Amino acid sequence: MVLVDAGGFFPEDDLHEDVAWFLMDAMKLLGTDAAGIGDRDLRFGYARLRDHAKQDQLQLVSANLVLKKTQQPAFEPYIIKKVGNVNVGIFGLISDKADLGPARDTLAAQDPAVTAKRVVAELKKKGATVIVLLSQLGKVETEDLVTAVEGMDVAVAGRGVPLVQKGRQINQTAVVYGGEQGQYLGRTIVTLDATHHAKSTDSDMFILGPDVGEKKEVSSLVQAFEDKFNEKLRVAEKEQAAKQQATAVQNDPDHFLGDEVCGRCHKDEQAQWKTTAHAHAWKTLVDKKKDATPDCIPCHVLGYNKSGGFLNATQSPKLVNVQCESCHGMGTGHDAYSEKAARVTEQTCVTCHTSANSPTFDFAIYEPHVVHHFAGKMPTLPPKPANSSMGGR
Amino acid sequence: MKLFLSRFVLAMIAAVFTWLLVASATPAKTTILAPDKFIVASTTDVKGKTSPCG
Repeated sequence: MVLVDAGGFFPEDDLHEDVAWFLMDAMKLLGTDAAGIGDRDLRFGYARLRDHAKQDQLQLVSANLVLKKTQQPAFEPYIIKKVGNVNVGIFGLISDKADLGPARDTLAAQDPAVTAKRVVAELKKKGATVIVLLSQLGKVETEDLVTAVEGMDVAVAGRGVPLVQKGRQINQTAVVYGGEQGQYLGRTIVTLDATHHAKSTDSDMFILGPDVGEKKEVSSLVQAFEDKFNEKLRVAEKEQAAKQQATAVQNDPDHFLGDEVCGRCHKDEQAQWKTTAHAHAWKTLVDKKKDATPDCIPCHVLGYNKSGGFLNATQSPKLVNVQCESCHGMGTGHDAYSEKAARVTEQTCVTCHTSANSPTFDFAIYEPHVVHHFAGKMPTLPPKPANSSMGGR
Repeated sequence: MKLFLSRFVLAMIAAVFTWLLVASATPAKTTILAPDKFIVASTTDVKGKTSPCG
């Protein structure tokens, strides 16, 4: 078996730089045989990525990422790993249309198809019997490539690729699709012939749900990192908040009010809301020490980064949790004389209950658990998957 | 840094699990019970995610 990552492992913002290096450390410790490189992974520059990989001894591969000055490979173009009787050639490709960010002055991406033809030939010449492509080309470009270039047995397609449960066979190449954010694992079973070459392939994606289980000692290490990182973010957030002139935002005529103001008139609704998971959404973040993680905060507070909305737990403690205005809109926009009830639609819910955050979300099942004055039979919530942020039992 | 990622850990465990499905458990590392099978376990676009929010 080989364990590979197709790249695109770095976070989307600079605030999470610690996570980027942690991920690389983690990949090495988990025994990743090779990882591809996406434009995302160059966000902190070429030298830092190269040096950190070297320090970690994490094998990064990219066959078409070259130094602009010399046109020499910026990383190892490929590796050949011997597993039993199989010589596995693994190479990476990055899109030549990608913005290389801070590395754009140093690096260039060569034509993926031309590179792939050359590298496949080289790998075969050097004895590779199974060839794996780690693609950061996206879905269409990866499919075009394996259609045009023969000789690859498996292509792991990354960079904005949708999740497809079953891999697709294009010519002799099994293409494995998607599965982002560490929630899925692709498994390709390669059946070998007598010469240890691929005879057939079968690919599937597996969701890493609760049935997979987790190693306690390792999850403790993850938790330790996250706790430390959350604390660092919390300190940075407080420092930033202290510098901000919060009053300017609070004085905006359109702003959030908080449940206390709504509850002055809507007492029954407020009392019912307090029994729901929405009213305790902030605690779930605090318990997991993610209350300073910008990725998580917006769906656990009221009006994050919006006028009069949540700033941080110190400055705006009354705006934690998913409150009245999270679903019904800003209190200052409330028409007190309207005869129509402010009915909430599924559209409102799915801003937070996305497939990634809340894979079991079903409006018909979830809505009765939060709606005011529900009179029917309460549907049972599905079990909360291990990789879900919200909802479920 | 001696730290792991839980989702990567899950990925790894699943990878091992799938391997066991094919080869079944064996005490000897050099013994391969399914010599005609080879597995590629893969992840992609992890995007800096370590674990769910809460």
